[in-house]
Amino acid sequence: MAISRRAFGLGLLGASALATGGYLALSGRPEFRGLLGQSTKLFGFLGGEKQAFVEDVDVVNALKSRGIDLDARVAGSVEMVREPALLSQNPQFLWPSSAIMVDIARQSGVKIRRDQVVLNSPIVVYSWEPVVDGLKSSGLVTTGMDGHYELDLLSLLNAIIDQKNWSDLGVGTLYGRARIVSTDPNRSNSGFMFSGLVLSLLSGDVPDQTALDKFGERASEIFISMGLKSSSSGKLFDQYLAGGFGAEPMVVGYENQLVEWILADPQRWQRIVDAKGPKPVILYPRPTAYSAHPLITIDPESDQLLEAMLSDQLQELAWTKHGFRGPLGSVTGAANSAIAGLLPAEVSAVLPIPSANVMLRFLERLAGHEASLLG
Amino acid sequence: MADTEFAPGTVARRDGILRPVFMLAAALVAVVALAACSSGPKTPFAIMAGSENTVLQPLVEQFCAERNMDCTFTYKGSLDIGLAIGSQEGADADAVWPASSVWLDLFDTGRTVKHATSIAQMPVILGVRRSKAEALGWVGHDVYMADILKAVENGNLTFLMTSATQSNSGASAYLAMLSAALGGPSAVIAPGDLDRSDVQQTVSALLSGVARSSGSSGWLADLYVASAKEGTRYDAMWNYEAVLKETNDQLRQMGGDLLYAIYPADGVAIADSPLGFIDRGRGDKVETFFTELVAYLQSLEVTRKIAATGRRIPLAAGGVTPAAEPDWNFDATRVVTAIRVPEPAVIRQALDLYQTALRKPSLTALCLDFSGSMEGDGETQLQTAMQFLFTPDEASRVLVQWSPKDRIIVLPFDSDVRRQIDIPGDTASQSGLLAQIGQERAGGGTNMYDCAETALKAMNATANLKDFLPAIVVMTDGRSDDAFNRFMETWRRANQKIPVFGITFGDADKSQLDRLAEATAGRVFNGQADLAGAFRSARGYN
Repeated sequence: MAISRRAFGLGLLGASALATGGYLALSGRPEFRGLLGQSTKLFGFLGGEKQAFVEDVDVVNALKSRGIDLDARVAGSVEMVREPALLSQNPQFLWPSSAIMVDIARQSGVKIRRDQVVLNSPIVVYSWEPVVDGLKSSGLVTTGMDGHYELDLLSLLNAIIDQKNWSDLGVGTLYGRARIVSTDPNRSNSGFMFSGLVLSLLSGDVPDQTALDKFGERASEIFISMGLKSSSSGKLFDQYLAGGFGAEPMVVGYENQLVEWILADPQRWQRIVDAKGPKPVILYPRPTAYSAHPLITIDPESDQLLEAMLSDQLQELAWTKHGFRGPLGSVTGAANSAIAGLLPAEVSAVLPIPSANVMLRFLERLAGHEASLLG
Repeated sequence: MADTEFAPGTVARRDGILRPVFMLAAALVAVVALAACSSGPKTPFAIMAGSENTVLQPLVEQFCAERNMDCTFTYKGSLDIGLAIGSQEGADADAVWPASSVWLDLFDTGRTVKHATSIAQMPVILGVRRSKAEALGWVGHDVYMADILKAVENGNLTFLMTSATQSNSGASAYLAMLSAALGGPSAVIAPGDLDRSDVQQTVSALLSGVARSSGSSGWLADLYVASAKEGTRYDAMWNYEAVLKETNDQLRQMGGDLLYAIYPADGVAIADSPLGFIDRGRGDKVETFFTELVAYLQSLEVTRKIAATGRRIPLAAGGVTPAAEPDWNFDATRVVTAIRVPEPAVIRQALDLYQTALRKPSLTALCLDFSGSMEGDGETQLQTAMQFLFTPDEASRVLVQWSPKDRIIVLPFDSDVRRQIDIPGDTASQSGLLAQIGQERAGGGTNMYDCAETALKAMNATANLKDFLPAIVVMTDGRSDDAFNRFMETWRRANQKIPVFGITFGDADKSQLDRLAEATAGRVFNGQADLAGAFRSARGYN
């Protein structure tokens, strides 16, 4: 086919203009930065409960298309904002699991650029059907209006402090003392939040320094009885599932963790539901606390990660595939049918966590118990 | 593949004008990637694992072959894996697979291990020869640690157990003993508890039941089977439930007693077999391979195979459990009461207490080759190794320090035994011993058999030999005139069968040491690259 030189020249010009215009248009859209070869590797720490989310291939690709290549290492929320061994690795971002960690990071001298809550999840207790059946018989667990299990956490805590056995709580299938296990409050957020809950419940109010002096010792006993405490929520939840009913009767975690695990392989969940063995059960402590997940940016490059995480695309992936509620507890998109009815529409009885100063003093007290072990 | 921009999985979600371009690019990438997967040089992938994972190696290798990866396994004790992770230079591996995440919690302070995932659960229990279990009235009944203690104290039970400071199964058994000694069921061990004299006495009495120890759970199980073949059936063995299954599979073929599973009702420690990735900066491809390997090990098909080895996988396999074997009381659906693992600082304190006070004392004879061929570097390395072994600060760093209750016999030799130094294991005696060894200079011929025989006679003359765990360690760099048969005659005549461990160095004739170790139920360690390390390993067996 013949083509005039003029037409060819115009065509070339047009193609070039189109390419340039296209480039400019795309480069103005963060979700296409990656397509233009603008990729930034971002290194930072995040709580273990978000590991599966950031490793989800859809999330990885959504970030890659925005030019973000995440090198995220799992660390406990408390330790990532305080531990020199971690902070000296110059993380570009920190993504702990409680708003209070932003204050603590600031106190540790972290140069915070921006911080914003991007995800939310309430603190829950994971247990097993045979345990829950026993606790129902002793009245520690009741079924709420919407059919979800509610745990009388204060009564359970008092029973543990009073060294009651499982059989005293109606759980005849387990031998030995009743216990509940959380992560290490000094290293990981779910344990940290739980320690705030324990202190608040035992003191009967949002505790101040006086209440800490009065009830701190009793609250510490709960954590001493746990023995070795995991450094991250993701690890503890894995231990719960892997260990089963005998090894891990009751652990503290985030609401989204079971959701995420079910959605990762719905057929596996169906097999468990259909099988004879003990099944995992979510208990909602009454009251409980909300865990917010603020993303802290340190390096300017990591601001784009914050923007990406707040986008509809990632918020929808967070809820529909991983069970995280949004910045205000709201949800984006419709949850998968495999988890229909598993989560209550709202968690009403929520207790505020004590102030950062009271919490830090309580952490010191808990750490003091550990330090005395070395004495 | 997953690290490319145009991975096939992303194609479907791109829209509009870009789609055809991506489709083409993705197809091209897929073709190239497929070609890369099936040919070309293999990518190395090193796994540092506990010996109990040997049985799972073929499953892993199968996946490695499919992915064109060259997977190599190095088996190490839990303490060694922990020390490697915690070391300045980091573990020399792409993945670690210790028996229990306790060792990661103790040593991985810099969070170098990523994606650690439990592959299976393995309670550490006591396998008791069935006829012995029947005689003790334990078949079909709940057995408590107090019952085990009573049997040991009455002289009715001895057992094999790995060193609590070197190997996870020994540490697990020891922690279960400590928990039980506290009296409260499932009470967590607090630091003050370790100072209680009643607790120390109880655990020390339990540990007096140790007939043989080792630094490796797999080796201990092999020892049980090999000894049974030779006609020696030990009473019992602390080991993983799954390793007891492997052992019983072999014993069943030989005929005779199986090891009956005793799950102490006051609680046992459960190993969680975590497989974790170590990022050595080898790129996304290696890390992606690791996550795919974990997904493969957690797939329904593979979990069924893992469960068939006697490992518990409570949920991941969705109801897949190994078949029950009532002839040795094995039923993986039975709920096992787990002890609460104490805080790392308490574990460390408990391990020190084990090494320095509670374990059964060792009676160790060291035959040290000072023949002429050791002159120069060999001599220096040997002296350095002795400095390490007999300097409590150094030895305690890797938990092989001596206790004052130990007895140590050192025999420097060439063609003859030069002298015999016999000391208790206290600090002052060790420092005196070092001064004496420091005077030795290389020279003369090599006759390790003569030294081993002298050691044997000295040990057999020891009063209360039964109160000790005896071992002869022969370190040599040469070849001796063959006097194997003469040595074995003396060995067989002795009341107690004392194992001989070998440490090779320089041009050592390994076959001579192998033969001695095999005939006496010992083991040979390679001191070529790290002589001090080899002495340390040998200590873990004694």
